[in-house]
Amino acid sequence: MVIRLENVVKIYRLGKVEVPALRGVNLEIPKGEYASIMGPSGSGKSTLMNLIGALDRPTSGKVYIDGVDIAKLNDERLAMLRRKKIGFVFQQFNLINKLTALENVALPMWFAGVSRAARMRRAKELLELVGLGERLHHKPAELSGGERQRVAIARALANDPEIILADEPTGNLDTASGMVVIELLEKLNKLGKTLVVVTHDPDFGKRARMRVKLRDGIVREIERDENA
Amino acid sequence: MLDYILFSVKNLSHHKVRSFLTLLGVIIGIMAVVSMISIGSGMKAALKEQLEQLGSDKIFIIPRLAYGTAATTLTDEDADAIERVAGVAFVSPLYSVAGDVGFRNERRIVKIYGIDPEKAEATFGGGASGYRLLKGRWLQRGDRYKVVVGYGVASDVFSRDVNVGNTLKIHGVGFEVVGVFKKTGDREKDYTIYTNLDTIRDIFGAGNKVTLIIARIDKGADIDDVRLRIENELEKRKGSKENFFVMTQKEIIERVGEAYRVVQVVFGGLAAVSLIVGAIGIANTMIMNVTERTREIGILKATGASNAQVMKIFLTDAAFLGLAGGCIGVAMGYLISLAINTAAARYLGEGVLTTAVTPELVLFALIFSLVIGVVAGLYPAYRALRLNPVEALRA
Ligand SMILES: Nc1ncnc2c1ncn2[C@@H]1O[C@H](COP(=O)(O)OP(=O)(O)O)[C@@H](O)[C@H]1O
Ligand SMILES: [Mg+2]
Repeated sequence: MVIRLENVVKIYRLGKVEVPALRGVNLEIPKGEYASIMGPSGSGKSTLMNLIGALDRPTSGKVYIDGVDIAKLNDERLAMLRRKKIGFVFQQFNLINKLTALENVALPMWFAGVSRAARMRRAKELLELVGLGERLHHKPAELSGGERQRVAIARALANDPEIILADEPTGNLDTASGMVVIELLEKLNKLGKTLVVVTHDPDFGKRARMRVKLRDGIVREIERDENA
Repeated sequence: MLDYILFSVKNLSHHKVRSFLTLLGVIIGIMAVVSMISIGSGMKAALKEQLEQLGSDKIFIIPRLAYGTAATTLTDEDADAIERVAGVAFVSPLYSVAGDVGFRNERRIVKIYGIDPEKAEATFGGGASGYRLLKGRWLQRGDRYKVVVGYGVASDVFSRDVNVGNTLKIHGVGFEVVGVFKKTGDREKDYTIYTNLDTIRDIFGAGNKVTLIIARIDKGADIDDVRLRIENELEKRKGSKENFFVMTQKEIIERVGEAYRVVQVVFGGLAAVSLIVGAIGIANTMIMNVTERTREIGILKATGASNAQVMKIFLTDAAFLGLAGGCIGVAMGYLISLAINTAAARYLGEGVLTTAVTPELVLFALIFSLVIGVVAGLYPAYRALRLNPVEALRA
């Protein structure tokens, strides 16, 4: 199992109010799997993704990424884990506006200590892979939504992580560019990456081999195609 | 490191106007430091050089000028009396004044030394203090209304060169130029007009007053003993020690050093205040910067930046702000220093005040501004690194 959650509880504190976002989640996602996470708004999907992506620590329970419990890692190790094992794709793209597509994609490699020449070369290859070989020096503002999300996917691939996490990657896109993005993510899964996609769109959700249904911070149902 | 710098350049050029406003404090502070220190070190260097050229076997008798009285109380008779003191070999009296000098239809303020040519030669041992004639002749005892001019006066002060045979008008009175000195490299000497003591005193109605007496001691005499004897002699003649100083070259250099330190402390304090204001400005901008870029920090962290890397990014920004302020400040300080030079030459006379912006000063100012930037950036950078990535991304 590359991802394993045991009894994960996440409670947000807003002053004196406690907001339980996850209330005891158990989940195992094997290496190379294609999983979708579906559920109504506010059901805890993003919270779950942030924990798998080592962006946050659980209030209680265990989150194992590649066998390591992230609750036990200090900030430094957590950053290292994010850098090496995880590629995150967000609904709002989260690109840095003052940087070009190429520089955005190269960013995670900078943090990983890759030399400037090497990361520029790889960033260019990755942008070509997502079909943006002609847009290397454009800034996010000069790109369409679909193109921005493809830049974000290229960035997620920068350090060749095992896991690609996409939190509603098509949420801000029209159907056609959403399709391009989903197909691109699926291509990465075929190349061996573990892919977890949060989506609102049942048509997209159904494409995954493993389908997790979340409601009120609890996993209600897991469906799995066994033919793969 | 280069990557951090490039990233900073992008950040700061994103907010040009604000970056510049932030820098004003640092710019003003560094500007003040550079221009003040340049004046101070210029004054000190010029004086020290002059005194050193005069030699260590000289004793200087200087009138102490009370406030409001520009008049010296030293006279020719005092000079003669000093010459008779045991251990004194020669004495050269001097009357110096900044005078209104006309050449053709131009008028400038130029420093004029009235000397006794023979006594000066004896005291300074001919060309020993760096003077060499380029053209014409040296002054002679009994010359009236004759001048020898320094190289700068001949070639630089007026738009046309002053030559042997020309006439200079000092306070409206015509003087014949009989000689031009070669360049000595010392502004004080090169930008001075030399004439006979009596002639110049006549023009300025100075009677038998002198503004400086320089005594040269006998070979082998103890300079401190001689100094004391001169002081006693003058005290006897004047009734008190109130109105004059008797100093050796070493003492003058020390005194100048002290005065210079006072100037330094005062201006240093002013500069420090503006630098602190500058640092607060940078810290403030950086805190705004961190708040504004919360989301960006979230992105940096989500894509794998460690706390240390985030901290480094923001510290580099702050260091850059400081250094940029320092560069502008140094440039402006340099311009001010040049302006002071030009103004001083024009209104006080050439060679009176020469400022100097040394490479060491520039280096110090730049390093200092960089350090200010880093110190000011520490707290904001710490705030940036403490942000939780999830919270930051929600911003
Ligand atoms: N940082 C936060 N602080 C406080 N409450 C939060 C925070 N993030 C999420 N929540 C709350 O937790 C619940 C789950 O949110 P989220 O995981 O974003 O759901 P989803 O992504 O499924 O819409 C919601 O009630 C939301 O308001
Ligand atoms: Mg969500």
